[in-house]
Amino acid sequence: MARYAMVIKTERCVGCQSCTVACKSEWSVPNGFARTRVPEAGTRGTFPVLSTSFHVKQCNHCDRPTCVPACPSGATYQAEDGTVRIDRALCIGCGACVAACPYGARYIDPIAGKADKCDFCAPRREQGLAPACVLTCPAEAKIFGDLEDPSSDVYRLVYHEGARRIETAQVSIGPNVYYTGRADHLELQAASFAPVLPRTIAAGVVWSAFAKKLVMLVVGASFAGQAIAFFRQLAVGEKRFED
Amino acid sequence: MNTQLIPSHPVLLTVEEATAMEQQTIKKHDVAIILLHWFNASVWLIELISGLALIVGAAYRVMPLWYVTMIDSALGSRANVLRVHVAIGLTWIIVFLVYGIFGYRNYLRREVLINEVGLDRDDFQWLRIRLLLLLGRTRESLPEQGAYNAGQKLFAFLVYSALPVIAFTGVIMSFHLFGTLVVGWAMVLHFVAVGMVVSGLMVHAYMGAVFPEERPAFFSMITGKVNELFAYKHHFKWWRQTKIEQRKWQEEFQNNDADRARH
Repeated sequence: MARYAMVIKTERCVGCQSCTVACKSEWSVPNGFARTRVPEAGTRGTFPVLSTSFHVKQCNHCDRPTCVPACPSGATYQAEDGTVRIDRALCIGCGACVAACPYGARYIDPIAGKADKCDFCAPRREQGLAPACVLTCPAEAKIFGDLEDPSSDVYRLVYHEGARRIETAQVSIGPNVYYTGRADHLELQAASFAPVLPRTIAAGVVWSAFAKKLVMLVVGASFAGQAIAFFRQLAVGEKRFED
Repeated sequence: MNTQLIPSHPVLLTVEEATAMEQQTIKKHDVAIILLHWFNASVWLIELISGLALIVGAAYRVMPLWYVTMIDSALGSRANVLRVHVAIGLTWIIVFLVYGIFGYRNYLRREVLINEVGLDRDDFQWLRIRLLLLLGRTRESLPEQGAYNAGQKLFAFLVYSALPVIAFTGVIMSFHLFGTLVVGWAMVLHFVAVGMVVSGLMVHAYMGAVFPEERPAFFSMITGKVNELFAYKHHFKWWRQTKIEQRKWQEEFQNNDADRARH
């Protein structure tokens, strides 16, 4: 099986947002939302020698995704190729995964009322096409491929040319979007776009801390009560006639 | 009307009386209610089996993972499990709306509900003694009961209050209404409301199908009838009410007979 990953060559990115537009148009992403976007990371250097860089934000298809266990209905899952996918037929739109994502990669599609995010263009891949953003990028700053294929560009960039993940000591869940570029720019990006701690929605906290226990206790007590009554019934036997 | 012969409190029966009463049946449930009851029971069974397989997330799941995969495989996919759950749930809501609209006058009017499921002093006594009897801790006799005993009434309250919650939250989740916050809490309410009903449902099913003293009540949900001796022993107030109505009905025939004799 494959292990898909993406490498963003920030030294090539000029922040043109072609990828953002290609993605939005390919997947009819509603206004105000995006599966991938390119915020400016800020400047580095001292005047007059200044330079800026752009950061590409999207789903990282993490090795140990926090959104998967957070999803109550099992709509969010990790596919065999390592990508994190959403089965839209199962999504109820509770927003637990949106809160659980440290990279802010998810949103609730306001039209469908369901969660949505980048899936590395799964339907395109099935047809043998590259993801829309990769194909569109005029600077070829986005490299997509299989980390298990030693001949792939991503393999070379990740294992031999030091492409790095954006992680922190607290949030280290194995994101599969890697970055290359000038060290000072990457440091700034890692600081500005550092993953935040995953959150659990209040309803989810109440479910596991209270509701689940309450229901199990009440149902269990009811079952135990009947078991006692039934054992009594066994011991006493049944009457053949009403008294 | 002559109600002199109908006792106002249970009296000791003679062998002949008891044997005769055991042969007699009185009607307890309308056919529509029997059908609705078994429709409801089937829906609960299917919805519980499928619903438990739809709680998948590690922090949420109540059943082991093998159960979830077993149900998924039985229906082909998890999406199918959800489709079945939602389709049957919506059908259930529609059927109960029809019952609510067409059956209102007969079954759900305030006076009917107070008469059938309103709790009185006897009911609270009944609950206490029934519990002690189950535990073998008392020899007191149970107070007189109406058409439904206090346990059945309590279960009715539980069901009547949980039913709209389950229906509303189910619709919210099915159609992703009112945003993530509402859907998230709908999930919790749906689960808790169902859990509370299930705890009562277990007692309801045990009392109906397993507990020997209530056996006639179980068959009344098939035939619509209970034998008079059971009614007399377990639902005396209702038995008396029924007897008075029966007497009225008989007197009408007696009047008819008198009319015929005159012509």
